[in-house]
Amino acid sequence: MWNQGGYSESGMVGGYTQSPGGFASPGLSQGEKKGRTRSTQIIPCTVSQLMSASQADEAFKVGEVEVNQVTIVGIIRSTDKSMTYIQYRVDDMTGAPMDVKQWVDTEDPSVDSTVLPPGTYVKVSGNLRSFQNHRSMVAFCIRPLEDMNEITSHMLEVVQAHMALSKPQNTLGGGGGGMTAGSVSKPVIGGMGGSYAGASDMTNNGLSPNQNQVLSLIRGCPEPQGISIQDLKHRLGGMSLPMIKQAVEFLSNEGHIFSTIDEDHFKSTDND
Amino acid sequence: MKKEEASRINCSMLLQHINQAVCFVGRVSKVHPSGKTFTAVDGEGKTVTVELNCCLEEELSGVVEVIGLVSNKGVLMAATYNLLREDRGTPFDLELYNEALKVIHDFPQHYPFEAAVSG
Repeated sequence: MWNQGGYSESGMVGGYTQSPGGFASPGLSQGEKKGRTRSTQIIPCTVSQLMSASQADEAFKVGEVEVNQVTIVGIIRSTDKSMTYIQYRVDDMTGAPMDVKQWVDTEDPSVDSTVLPPGTYVKVSGNLRSFQNHRSMVAFCIRPLEDMNEITSHMLEVVQAHMALSKPQNTLGGGGGGMTAGSVSKPVIGGMGGSYAGASDMTNNGLSPNQNQVLSLIRGCPEPQGISIQDLKHRLGGMSLPMIKQAVEFLSNEGHIFSTIDEDHFKSTDND
Repeated sequence: MKKEEASRINCSMLLQHINQAVCFVGRVSKVHPSGKTFTAVDGEGKTVTVELNCCLEEELSGVVEVIGLVSNKGVLMAATYNLLREDRGTPFDLELYNEALKVIHDFPQHYPFEAAVSG
């Protein structure tokens, strides 16, 4: 979606534009570098990640994740306007505020070059830059937040994107191109419904140890009708029947397995 | 004061951050008549006492984001605060923010609160 064909840097100075605040799906530009092709993804980040990103030539990396076009969400702490640009310091609490430069188009009167006041929460989309060891951003879009829930969504998107993009390719199971990263046991929907179950038991693929055990057994079954719940109970002596059924239900809901001849037989959706 | 990072926390995490800079988000509950202190409630319904270094000039209400140090009694000594506006349609979902807090604390490698040494 957002990572197709890059993001044009012209005509986006100031004002509100359609910001692609979302994260890119994994498996697209990873390892597909043709010569000096720059990654065309836009990655939600924290200021701390941008400050500590490693740099090789013109390319920045947060861990294994290549970052170039990024979004941050923070509060404006100070502003400085000059003839050709506005300089902001944007603070997202993860470290010292980030310097963000926004070029002002002096020729075009329709472009709003009003300085946003300190205390304004904004979403900044732009490129990470490093000059004489000093990190900063050059923004192509700075949008004041109207809905403060974007602070929350950005926090979640940062974790999601970096987790998904850090995963090695071969553990992305299930359907092609989709996000399978870090699925939590009970999704959070608004303020109602389930709550985050915590990551303490999570392994790399976002499944708990129990779920992984059950999934491995189901995957390993060569029979066309799959493996039955009874077989699972036999093989997993340490797991109670309710626990096995709970794992099976979760795996089925997430699309890792499907039922075959009846409701008690399952096969894995992965092509092993 | 050169402020660096301030970990986002809720009331349950206060005592683990004594003498550390934190960022607390909650709904203003009661303001002390002196204007020097107020209480706020987080997404789990727990309450924190916030002490200001200067008096409140005007009435404080709604969702507030406070940055400050946690005293060894678990009181938030505020350095600065700002209100999260709710006048543009959507109210701020404090419970959802609380869930997001748990996520970022469960995955500190993907939401670091300090400038780690770059590789």
